[in-house]
Amino acid sequence: MHRSSTRVAVVGSAQTQLRDAWRDRQHVDLISMAVTNALKGTGLTMRDVDFVIDSGSDILDGRSISNCGFLGAMGAHHKEESRVEEDGLWSALYGVTKIASGAAEVGLIIAYSKPSEGDLDAFYATQCEPFYLRPVGFDHLAASGIQAQQYLARSEADEALLAKIVERSWARAAQNPGVQVDEVPGVDDVLASEVVAAPLRRLQISRPVDGAVAIVLASRAVAEKIASDPVWITGMGAAMDEHAVPSRELASLPACEAAARSAYGRAGIDDPLTCSLVETSAGTAVGELMVLEALGLAEAGRAGALYDDGAPIAVNPSGGSLPADPVMATGLVRLSDAALQLTGRADFGPDGATSAIVHGTGGVGMQSHCVFTLEV
Amino acid sequence: MSNVAIVGTGQTKYARRRLDVSQAGLVREAVDAALEDAELTIEDIDSVVVCSGPALFGAVNQPEKWLVDACRARLKPVVRVTSGGGTGLAGALAAMNQVKGGFADRVLVVAYDKLSEGALQYQISTLYDPFWGREFAVGIMGFAAAYWRARMDILGHTEEAAALVAVKNHKNAHNNPYAHVKKDITVDDVLNSRPLAWPIKLLDVPPISDGACAVVLASEEVAAKTVAKPAWIRGMAYYCEADNVAHRSMIQSVPLQLAAQRVYQAAGITNPRRQFDVAEVQEPYTCFELSYYEALGFCEPGGAAKLIESGATEMDGDIPVNPSGGCMGANPIGATALIRLAEAALQVTGKAGDRQVENARTAVVQAGGGWANLRGVAVVAADN
Repeated sequence: MHRSSTRVAVVGSAQTQLRDAWRDRQHVDLISMAVTNALKGTGLTMRDVDFVIDSGSDILDGRSISNCGFLGAMGAHHKEESRVEEDGLWSALYGVTKIASGAAEVGLIIAYSKPSEGDLDAFYATQCEPFYLRPVGFDHLAASGIQAQQYLARSEADEALLAKIVERSWARAAQNPGVQVDEVPGVDDVLASEVVAAPLRRLQISRPVDGAVAIVLASRAVAEKIASDPVWITGMGAAMDEHAVPSRELASLPACEAAARSAYGRAGIDDPLTCSLVETSAGTAVGELMVLEALGLAEAGRAGALYDDGAPIAVNPSGGSLPADPVMATGLVRLSDAALQLTGRADFGPDGATSAIVHGTGGVGMQSHCVFTLEV
Repeated sequence: MSNVAIVGTGQTKYARRRLDVSQAGLVREAVDAALEDAELTIEDIDSVVVCSGPALFGAVNQPEKWLVDACRARLKPVVRVTSGGGTGLAGALAAMNQVKGGFADRVLVVAYDKLSEGALQYQISTLYDPFWGREFAVGIMGFAAAYWRARMDILGHTEEAAALVAVKNHKNAHNNPYAHVKKDITVDDVLNSRPLAWPIKLLDVPPISDGACAVVLASEEVAAKTVAKPAWIRGMAYYCEADNVAHRSMIQSVPLQLAAQRVYQAAGITNPRRQFDVAEVQEPYTCFELSYYEALGFCEPGGAAKLIESGATEMDGDIPVNPSGGCMGANPIGATALIRLAEAALQVTGKAGDRQVENARTAVVQAGGGWANLRGVAVVAADN
């Protein structure tokens, strides 16, 4: 196991519950709940935190440089702070490099989302460039539907499998205290839900939720001093595909493959199926299959087998992103969920897990991907 | 830990409106120029950091998702860092950490804004809290004016001293081939120009511009093999202040002082006035440049008016500030901070053309944004 002095660990994490809407809480309330709880039990206080990197969206928040308004809640006052306007897993990537560079010892990574107060369709539609895609109303639903058609035409997956994935994800989320689930939709509910992006049905698309998550990262020196069970970040990779959806490979995710290759290469992972668990951030049930294949966990078109009993790796024990997608924070929630499982403090997940793969994504049709590997 | 080098810079032609290119075309122009300067191709680049002002400025959400094609960066890590007006330096800092932290050997940073495509002051007004601040906030100018007024009383930052900043920077912009505002003005012109939010007057304010800037950062090992004369980043930091405007004292900027302290320590700067040969600062209004003189340690608190009156910050002074003309020559907000860094690199590598400060070897860069609560500093030098 590679243990250079620049190794970085997750030593604490916390999230608010992920809900349809936090009507009685503002952004700052959600952020400060996550931040305060992330530090609890670490032996660290805000004074020990050297820097803050955060993810959120001006467009969802309806506010320019929205991090400026949340700096106090984030504990960033008179510290170094930057906003990464992408899913929180990229903020974590920034934080890891800042500690690995020797510039800092302890960093706080924060991501939050309140889509209940914003317009998620506009959030995605305005990502499309304004000349060719936007005028025809192209958006994330159109991209996801086309991807799903292309993928399903080339895979073993069918509607029954997609419904099974959705039901299983919600059932697991119901066991996860971090996610509000009033009712677990059954296979019949999934198949009866309206088609919103043919062939995808409403329940095959992730549910946007409000919430905030915070992660405490520390250098090896600090982590070994304060934490009995630091979760080491062994690999990271990121890659973005081209913007023009029509010219992308639609039945696979080459950017996710590139990100995974890079992370596995750094971590020295030859066979990702040797990892204990994987947590993914896809926006649709088909997308989840595509991500699992791009991560090298199944042959093309065969990821459905990973949902069978006795599969070699535990897939989304937290419930994953389908029942709860706090857009801009989803990947960082996955990192938090994975770290909790590796320390044995989660209410879910496989026994004796020692390593994890974490996936985050952003953009229309999952244009960009970030992959972390973890180990205890 | 080894230092990071700037091995190439590129800037677009700036203009009030660049109608000849899209946002993507603008970015491509800067990227091509930086890669050519570094004698590299995009294949040599491991990672890309995109910086721009708030997404609402340009009406494209997460614009890096669009610009990736123009950058030809498909399947590379591409991420956008946004920290208000200083975002170019915040992005360079993220890139520097990617190099120092072992994530990449060469990182391309590209910063841009195409302000002709959005409603700038309206979008700036949305900075403020929707419940407690937005109804009476007036863009960024209202509170900047209030604090300048206070600094007049406490620090003697007179209207005349600020006017000298406008005169100097406008004059320097004549020597910058990229600048789009080039005019001769006098102190009287500034004092008699139309008040916008007194004491801020029209000629205290920079233009609104379209433009992009790109910089290639490389690790020490790679830089040694890349170009003959890299500019070394000897320190860089970007600090914030949380409080809302009404609760703060902006007589001296604490985040700027914190950033300067940290960077000076890393770079071994104990006497900034003597050790720096040149400075590039981001002055959204003339009054800010005066306050930077004090926070950066060019003079004592309250000494800024005397410093500019002495001519020390003119091209032929002992510490020229903004040989490029600063924001007065061009102000594509999201790119402005990276332009300051690029100009500093040009100075210490002797490539600054008509705006070259003779024998410049060490330069300081200041940048910032938000409601003047995000502040960054960098030191760039010819020597590692």
